[in-house]
Amino acid sequence: MPPLLERNLDRRPDPDALLAVAGAKKRGKLCIFLGAAPGVGKTYSMLERARAAKADGVDVVIGVVETHGRQETQALLEGLEIMPRRAVEYRGRVIEEFDMDAALARKPKLIVVDELAHSNAPDSRHPKRWQDIEELLEAGVDVWTALNIQHLESLADVVARITGVRVRETVPDVVLSSACDVILVDITPDELLQRLHDGKVYFSQTARLAARNFFTPGNLTALRELALRRTAERVDDQVVDYLRQHAIEGPWGAAERLLVCVGADFASDNVVRAAARLATALNAEWTAVFVERPGQEEADAERVKRVDDALRLAERLGASTERLSAHDLAGDLLRFARRENFTQIVLGRSRSGRLARFFRRSLTQELVRRSRDIAVHVVTDEVAPPPGKIRLPSPLSLAGGFAGATASVAVAVGFGAALDHWLHLPNLSMIFLVAVIFCALRFGLWAAIMAAFLSFLAFDFFFVEPDYDFAISEPQEILALLVFLVVAVITGLLAGRVREHSIQLTQRIDATRSLFEFSRKVSGAATLDDVAWVATAQAQKALGAQCVVALAPQEGELRLAAAWPPLDALEVGEMSAARWAFEKAEAAGWRTGTLPNVRFQFRPLTTPRGVVGVCGVQPKKMDEPLSAQEDRTLSAILDQTAIAIDRAQLIDKSIHAAALEENEKLRTTLLSSISHDLRTPLASITGAVTSLRELGDKMSGSERQDLLASIEEESGRLSRFVKNLLDMSRIEAGALETRRDWVDVGDAIRAATQRIRKVFPDGKVIVSVAPSLPFIRADANLLQQVLFNLLDNAHKYGGGAAVSVHARQEGGDLVVTVTDEGPGIKPSDLERIFEKFYRGGRPDGRKAGTGLGLSICRGLVEAMGGTISAQSPALRRRGTRMILRFPAAETRGEER
Amino acid sequence: MSGERVLVVDDEAEILRCLRPALTACGYDVLSAETGREALRAIAARAPDVVLLDLGLPDMDGKDVINQAGVFSKTPIVVLSARDREAEKITALDAGAVDYVEKPFAIGELMARLRAALRHALRDGGKVDRIEHGDLAIDLARRIVTKAGAPVKLTPKEYDLLAHLARGEGRLLTHRQLLTAVWGPAHSDDSQYLRVFIGQLRAKIEDDPANPRLILTELGAGYRFAEASA
Repeated sequence: MPPLLERNLDRRPDPDALLAVAGAKKRGKLCIFLGAAPGVGKTYSMLERARAAKADGVDVVIGVVETHGRQETQALLEGLEIMPRRAVEYRGRVIEEFDMDAALARKPKLIVVDELAHSNAPDSRHPKRWQDIEELLEAGVDVWTALNIQHLESLADVVARITGVRVRETVPDVVLSSACDVILVDITPDELLQRLHDGKVYFSQTARLAARNFFTPGNLTALRELALRRTAERVDDQVVDYLRQHAIEGPWGAAERLLVCVGADFASDNVVRAAARLATALNAEWTAVFVERPGQEEADAERVKRVDDALRLAERLGASTERLSAHDLAGDLLRFARRENFTQIVLGRSRSGRLARFFRRSLTQELVRRSRDIAVHVVTDEVAPPPGKIRLPSPLSLAGGFAGATASVAVAVGFGAALDHWLHLPNLSMIFLVAVIFCALRFGLWAAIMAAFLSFLAFDFFFVEPDYDFAISEPQEILALLVFLVVAVITGLLAGRVREHSIQLTQRIDATRSLFEFSRKVSGAATLDDVAWVATAQAQKALGAQCVVALAPQEGELRLAAAWPPLDALEVGEMSAARWAFEKAEAAGWRTGTLPNVRFQFRPLTTPRGVVGVCGVQPKKMDEPLSAQEDRTLSAILDQTAIAIDRAQLIDKSIHAAALEENEKLRTTLLSSISHDLRTPLASITGAVTSLRELGDKMSGSERQDLLASIEEESGRLSRFVKNLLDMSRIEAGALETRRDWVDVGDAIRAATQRIRKVFPDGKVIVSVAPSLPFIRADANLLQQVLFNLLDNAHKYGGGAAVSVHARQEGGDLVVTVTDEGPGIKPSDLERIFEKFYRGGRPDGRKAGTGLGLSICRGLVEAMGGTISAQSPALRRRGTRMILRFPAAETRGEER
Repeated sequence: MSGERVLVVDDEAEILRCLRPALTACGYDVLSAETGREALRAIAARAPDVVLLDLGLPDMDGKDVINQAGVFSKTPIVVLSARDREAEKITALDAGAVDYVEKPFAIGELMARLRAALRHALRDGGKVDRIEHGDLAIDLARRIVTKAGAPVKLTPKEYDLLAHLARGEGRLLTHRQLLTAVWGPAHSDDSQYLRVFIGQLRAKIEDDPANPRLILTELGAGYRFAEASA
């Protein structure tokens, strides 16, 4: 075997590495001009290159470039296509912003968008410029942009430490690490300071002061080092990537995986940043995890928000995030880490109280003790937590609690006095404990503590010698009182916590119950709109927020399906957020990365078969995020809704399919029916004609005559059938001509019976017409035709017995009945017999009917303003009665 | 004449009205039935030599009549119906009907089918050694085929196919029947075999293979070996 082939087999390029390249081909390429500080010449360098690219024939457009009025930079812009800015009014000032939609519409090959870290005006599509650029890249446009190292998210705390300035506008590290090229624009700190001195670096008035503290040689050197190092790390990564893509063996050992634990404390952000830097240095994948004990979930909105923020920060820095629920925090964390192959764990030093540390090991100690093969990094926090802000309940509930505490203690005093009077109990303090526990359970923690102190005072005042004085005579009484106070407070604390727990439990039970109820309701909702209504009503009830559901029926536009409280339409901005959520299958609007100024937060309703719609929630309080509990409830409702919508759509589809199938069956029946009705007479005629021609000389004269007669009759039958078909189509097309005139029903009955006697010479017809009947408005010929058809049927199906025709007046109506004594019609068929081609039995059943007679009758009668119906059994459990009903004509009755 | 008995099963009185004189003129005795039940009773009690059966009967499906009659009687059944859909035709034939005539029909064609059916019934009883059609002769005992006196070289499968077709002279044989008879039940759906072999057979025995006169195609249903004009 040739050695070349062998080598290829052994060293196949890593498929993941190749896939990453393939993915990069469709996306636009991002090139970042990285600098250590403002004024190093990023924009200048970028524009120079843009001019060069333009000269090479590349389709370059300037999206946004701030020249700050500098001549050299301004000169570079000449000859380049510059996109107009979008004017935005914000707090009375007009700001010019990058026009995202225009850029997407223009869709150049390459666009230059300066200042990657810029924050957009509030009504923009995305809050941050890097998100705009992300969308441009997604659309396949190459982007050049500029960034100062201090704006990098993971370095924010380091930069703050070095320079003493907190940078507010940050860019996630992912943006930098996912860039195709990073070009470092570098000058020495001395040179930069010189440029600053020469006034070549632009600052706004307000920034000038800050800049003086910022631009020190020490700061600039440190920042320059950060920029150089970050670029070097990137180059390193690229080398590794190149080696992997080209299957060159290299020393890139086993991949490290990093797990960072975040908590609700203030240091979490720093822990996450430290982990991010470590992960970058190790070139490791990393995950941020939040662990909580089931039953002890964070309830405090502030703390929940801190956890959310830390997790979100980690996501921005390129981590994936997890939430775990664990009884044994350290054990379950390590189990998770082992299962997911994490090699290192990063966590902050836990700040448990001294007392707690005395009784049990902290999570850190526990982890270190049990980690074995997993390295544990403990990050000490340098940020002192802001001065302990004790959360006080609202003044109103505090006042209520206080009143409650006072009242309970007063009752306890009265009760104690009474007992003391009659029983001389040695230990009256117990009664006050009851009051404390009562307050804890009824009014909560604060009232309990108040009650404890009040009890302390009251006990001292009323029951400790000397009575009615706060002074205490016996020293042991002081000790007893103090012990009482401690016991009362602890009891109050414990009971108060029990109360809070039970309240939480009740809330959770309520949430579960309402979810259960919702799933019951939603499973009963059959149509899409019903499902949407139930969902909005439920979400409104659960969150107290206004909810809307917008659905996209079959590739159509997203439309508002339901809103509770009712809402007619969404505003333009809201609609575009909804559309974004629908198209990208991610949340948009309030408190998200897309259109955060919209009042609603839209979340996609995702089913296994794609996004079916979006649900929008307008929270009660715009400045507070949804609590974890609310978030969970909302997610559960959305999941259920999506499933229900999916189901409703499937039901729709299956109904549609069933209708099509039914239709198909009907068509087949019609075809077979018509085919039979046309072919039977044709067969008789052809058979008779060919018999006569081929065998005629072998037949007797009477046989020949009979064949000829059959030809004549069958031709008649054929022509009747064709005429019926034509009548039917004429009735259906609405082209039936009725000449409405005054008609005497008696005349029509006589004409029809005369005609039927010719067809059925042996048939017996009994006619009874009530005297002095009114006229009706009808077409005499058509009425006669209807009666003839009915008589014809009565003879055919009546089994040879007499047929009776009866006409009389009923109120304002004139009623004609035709009754036979045949076997009758099944009740279920009474209406169906008026359908086209329906013949009581099988489609090509025996009697020579066409299945058209009755449906033609109905068409004709209705065209004349009457009704026709069937009744069976008619008399003595047999027979069928056809009932014609016409409104009597008013005027001519008297003139008769 | 022979006085063979034909049972006509049709609920349309008009059909019987035109068939009766024609059949009588050709020398048949005509029996009639209007429903499937009557037909089965007549087949059992009066042993007709051939049955003409309409598929659309008021009380039961014609195919069920064929199935049930097949249990106790070998009387050949010729189907006569306005149902012109191929699937109906084939299921009726596979159920055991020997042939199929569509309404409307010319009386000559109907008579020819009846004759073929009767001959087939006779042949099943006795042993036929030799079949001749024009200048083609098939010696069933010695498995030799000659055309205009010259031997025709056939592969064993081609011979089996031709012999089977020729035995059913004048009768329509469905794809399934032919495949099962020649290739076995496992191949009853491989109608492409059949097309290939029929093509080869025609090339060997037809005067003009592009315009066959011996092996006739019934589109979508099967093949028919032409009836000797004699």
